Amino acid sequence: MIWLAWRQHRKQALFTAIGLALLAVFMVPTGLAMRHTFADLGLDDCVSALGTASMIPADADTCGKASVQFNGQYGVMTMIGVLFLVLPLLVGLFWGAPLVAREIEQSTHRVVWTQGVSRGHWALVKFGVAGAVALVASVVYGLGVSWWLTPMSQAGQHGRFNVFFFDMQGTAPIGYTIFAVALGIFAGTIWPKVLPAMSATLFGFLGLRIVLTTLARPHYLPARVVTFPLQDAVEQTNPAAGDWILSYGIRDASGKMVTANAQIACAPEAAGPGGACGADLGITSGAYNWQLYQPGTRFWLFQGIETGIFVAVAALLLYLAVRRVRRLA
Amino acid sequence: MDIVLETEQLGKRYGKAWALQDCSLRLPAGRVAALVGPNGAGKSTLLHLAVGLLRPDAGTVRVFGRMPYDNVAVLSEVGFVAQDTPLYRDFTADELFTMGAKLNRRFDTALAHRRLAQIGIPRDKPVGKLSGGQRAQVALALAMAKRPRLLLLDEPVASIDPLARREFLQTLMGVVAETGTTVLLSSHILADLERTCDHLIVLHASQVKLTGDVSALLAEHRQLVGPRDDRPLPAGIAQVIRAEHTDRQSTLLVRTNATLRDSAWEAYDVTLEDLILAYLGDGTSQPNTEWEVPA
Repeated sequence: MIWLAWRQHRKQALFTAIGLALLAVFMVPTGLAMRHTFADLGLDDCVSALGTASMIPADADTCGKASVQFNGQYGVMTMIGVLFLVLPLLVGLFWGAPLVAREIEQSTHRVVWTQGVSRGHWALVKFGVAGAVALVASVVYGLGVSWWLTPMSQAGQHGRFNVFFFDMQGTAPIGYTIFAVALGIFAGTIWPKVLPAMSATLFGFLGLRIVLTTLARPHYLPARVVTFPLQDAVEQTNPAAGDWILSYGIRDASGKMVTANAQIACAPEAAGPGGACGADLGITSGAYNWQLYQPGTRFWLFQGIETGIFVAVAALLLYLAVRRVRRLA
Repeated sequence: MDIVLETEQLGKRYGKAWALQDCSLRLPAGRVAALVGPNGAGKSTLLHLAVGLLRPDAGTVRVFGRMPYDNVAVLSEVGFVAQDTPLYRDFTADELFTMGAKLNRRFDTALAHRRLAQIGIPRDKPVGKLSGGQRAQVALALAMAKRPRLLLLDEPVASIDPLARREFLQTLMGVVAETGTTVLLSSHILADLERTCDHLIVLHASQVKLTGDVSALLAEHRQLVGPRDDRPLPAGIAQVIRAEHTDRQSTLLVRTNATLRDSAWEAYDVTLEDLILAYLGDGTSQPNTEWEVPA
């Protein structure tokens, strides 16, 4: 049975391997180049000196100049990186959806289900082989992208906790890939034709991903709040902490948000053209900087939660798919 | 007499429409049975129930005394060739036989090789590139290599040309003669059946109209021709299956239980084709229910 599953799907496995190899051809040289530049700019030492605390003394060096230089050079890479987000979906569409749907569409289920193995056995082996290949591919992909993204995350502009960057590294892509494959298989048992199964996979995958990312992920654990004065602060936020900043702004003395998505740090005794610090923005005395965030130290915890949710949903879908196969006509 | 396939008030429904209803029949071992009926009569449904691809919605189906649905013990005794002989089109015949050997406890690869060698079909070519007739032969070889005690074929020759059809049926008959396998073959090409089958099951509008041994059925049916008037039917007629009238004469196909003696009617033997058409005819009309069953 394993022989059959492999023989039927070796072409897809080969395409997956070629895809990963092409990715490696792009990522290994660029990743090495980024690391080289990162070290040359002195960012290695600078960033490690910053540590991972959310707040650091106001007079600490935030490696700003070197970071800007680094991001200027490699900023475009992050845009290319976002393309990697679709890879788990592609695996679901081309591995998962046809797995059962094509058999039924081409009536070959009538051949294979009338040999001497039960449908349950058939389904377990097919799903197992597809799942195992998807697992191997996604582990290589998740860890590879993590390695590739590390300098960019550390340079501060695109923390690894941020939406999109969180989603394409670590263990999360493994969860997404397994989920996409399971969803494709399940869709194929409900709509036993390849194209409807693929469309259902597409919409189901995007639907759950978007809903979880926007509604659930910020609340996996209660977010933290940090406040600090506009002027003469003893602390500042640490760009190297990798915090996921959910929202920030300036609130007045009563706690009302006066300017969203802004942060002010005036030097002591500073008096600009508008008078006191921030006066030209309508900011009154007693106002303070406010930030709602998930600390960067929770990164792996959140990765685990995210992966766990998708793996659990995938397991449920596979269980339902096996049940469907045993009942299908 | 061993009963290979037995159904009791078997029914299968798709949504609200019954594709097969109240179907009771018994197929003795060693027969080559024809399953006949127009499209949508429930032939595929009956075969799928027998091979365990479908689960009955009413009644029972037993193959070798056991329920076939997703039952490996039954599956290993049954060979099945599905309609349009679906196969993995990118597999070569050799790969299909490897599959068969891996998925079945008993699989005679050498037999499959011999069959293809006899009819000159290459084993190293993807079956998608073979002709329809050759593909049907590969499917038959794959099913026969299981050395099944029951072979079910769903319209195996419907989509292939007459020459390939004859060759296919010859192969089939050769196999049956060698192995004594019981065969149930669905078809709507009546001419083929006359030569090959000794048992008949007529399905029409999801119900069994007629079932039994071909020679017995032929013996108990007669075609009567007589002038058209209201004269009484001869004695010994159990049932008038079909009556056709022209201006001057009547033609009746009847089931009898005795020898007919009535000089006003001329009695003729019936052919298998006459018999099938009469039972499919629903009285005087020709079969016109051509709806398709989702298979």
